[in-house]
Amino acid sequence: MFELSPEEYSAMMLSLKVSMWSVIIILIPGILTGWLLARYNFVGKTFLDGLLHLPLVLPPVVTGYLLLLFLGRQGFIGQWLHQTFDITLAFSWRGAVLATALMSFPLMVRSIRLSIASIEIKMEQAARSLGASALSTFFTITLPLAAPGIISGSILAFARSLGEFGATITFVGNIEGETRTLPLAIYTYIQIPDGNDPAQRLLIISVILAFGALFFSSFIEKRAAHWIGAK
Amino acid sequence: MLSLDVHLQRGNFNLEANFALDNPVTGLFGSSGSGKSTLLNLIAGLANPDKGWLKLSDSHLFHSSKKINVPPDKRNIGVVFQDSQLFPHLPVNKNLLYGYKRIDKRQRRFEMSEIVDLLEIGHLLKKRPAQLSGGEKQRVGLGRALLASPRFLLLDEPLASLDQGLKEQILPFLKRVKDELDLPMVYISHSMDEILHLTDQLVIINNGRILGTGHFYDILGKNGNQEFSNYLGLENIFKVTIEDHDQKSGHTIGNLYGNKILFPLNDNCIVGDQYYISVRSSEIAIAKHRIQHISIQNQITGRISHFDQTPSEITVHIDIGTPLIVNITHKAFYDLELKPGNEIHCLIKAQSFSCLGKA
Repeated sequence: MFELSPEEYSAMMLSLKVSMWSVIIILIPGILTGWLLARYNFVGKTFLDGLLHLPLVLPPVVTGYLLLLFLGRQGFIGQWLHQTFDITLAFSWRGAVLATALMSFPLMVRSIRLSIASIEIKMEQAARSLGASALSTFFTITLPLAAPGIISGSILAFARSLGEFGATITFVGNIEGETRTLPLAIYTYIQIPDGNDPAQRLLIISVILAFGALFFSSFIEKRAAHWIGAK
Repeated sequence: MLSLDVHLQRGNFNLEANFALDNPVTGLFGSSGSGKSTLLNLIAGLANPDKGWLKLSDSHLFHSSKKINVPPDKRNIGVVFQDSQLFPHLPVNKNLLYGYKRIDKRQRRFEMSEIVDLLEIGHLLKKRPAQLSGGEKQRVGLGRALLASPRFLLLDEPLASLDQGLKEQILPFLKRVKDELDLPMVYISHSMDEILHLTDQLVIINNGRILGTGHFYDILGKNGNQEFSNYLGLENIFKVTIEDHDQKSGHTIGNLYGNKILFPLNDNCIVGDQYYISVRSSEIAIAKHRIQHISIQNQITGRISHFDQTPSEITVHIDIGTPLIVNITHKAFYDLELKPGNEIHCLIKAQSFSCLGKA
């Protein structure tokens, strides 16, 4: 029973590719945003915080539709991107990356923000008093100490990306080999007669991937906590 | 050396400080919430005053109207924190070298081996901070600050989170740093005892205001701020000449303005030298006659010069060759029918005397 057809295999690989890229593009913005929210008070902080969490509470279809409105070929940003850089996001796997990135960004920021907030400011002040510039302090103290949060945030975002459905299907459609990720493929197989077997195979793969990500996350977190000496 | 005039307002808290320090070690004394940690942050550049200036030697570290504000990493001021703030992800040796490697070679004042020997931390170099005891952490924190070659060292309650036994183990290291390295320091503490182990030059801060600066004998005791001395239990500070150590009875014998006093054996006091001794005014009893068969070792004869009263107690000023302050209750005062001019005997247990340091 467990022979994957080329279509199923490509759905799995596409899901991994999209999820990985989505984590890669939100990693640095996630760290910077988490740091900003953890360490600074500024006008509009509550607004920014709310805006970031919006994808968590909005129906994913709405997020996808908003993306389509702004970044679709007719949308004004989408048009500009197409004309200036010849980049098309709608109905391409890059668009799927953007949709999943947006959906998993809040999870990433949350985790990083918490881990930076838990580092005592005095620890950073100690580094400054020892002659480290603000930038050097960030890279030698803040970032390494926030590493467990950054890693678990990334894995959480990765797992969330694997399951992204609503925003993806709305923004980039369901094109086999291009945007049909695991959840979209499962959905497609359920719609057709004789689709039960492939749907269940993909279901098992989804469970394994999700479980593996969580397992890996807790393993890495423990290692990292040991590594930074928190034990 | 270090001089400042700073103002800072944070909510209801108002800090105003204006003083100059020129001693090898200055004790900054205040209770919690007095503003001493805020003051430390201002000196180190970890916070900025609203108004004022701060100068180390001849260069401004901060000047509000001249728009000078040297960032903390360029101030060259070392800080030893109460909870050491060692970097948990780095082993001890990398913690020690964190500041050292950021200093230009020609400006380095201390070498790793020198500091490691001074603080006896050689066996800890490979360990992680989480594996160290509280006392070891503080020594490493001190070493790390020293290796950054500071021009000035701030110690922020470095012993406050240690228990008494450990404090006594760390104090000798602080003394060593003071004696062997030519480095001006400010030692911040809410424990007068700790401060007096290291220095008798004080800055006293209370509620955001500087109550006094200078030698503790001048700020506290008879000449100083009475209310504050009371609060510290340092109403009676005397200069005592050590006459002898009596090993058999376990006493050290001193001469207090012609009166012989006994206090617990203290071999650190050198015979012939003068030391500051304090006794709390509430730990002295008054008797009209000399008392036989009593465990109290000191009975000092004196004459009542005058008294003040508050609803809860009477403060009796007694002349024993120098003024002595004794607090007793109204009942005790009237039972004994005390009057100015009476000759009385002051009963003081040997243990009630504490030796504050060399005069």
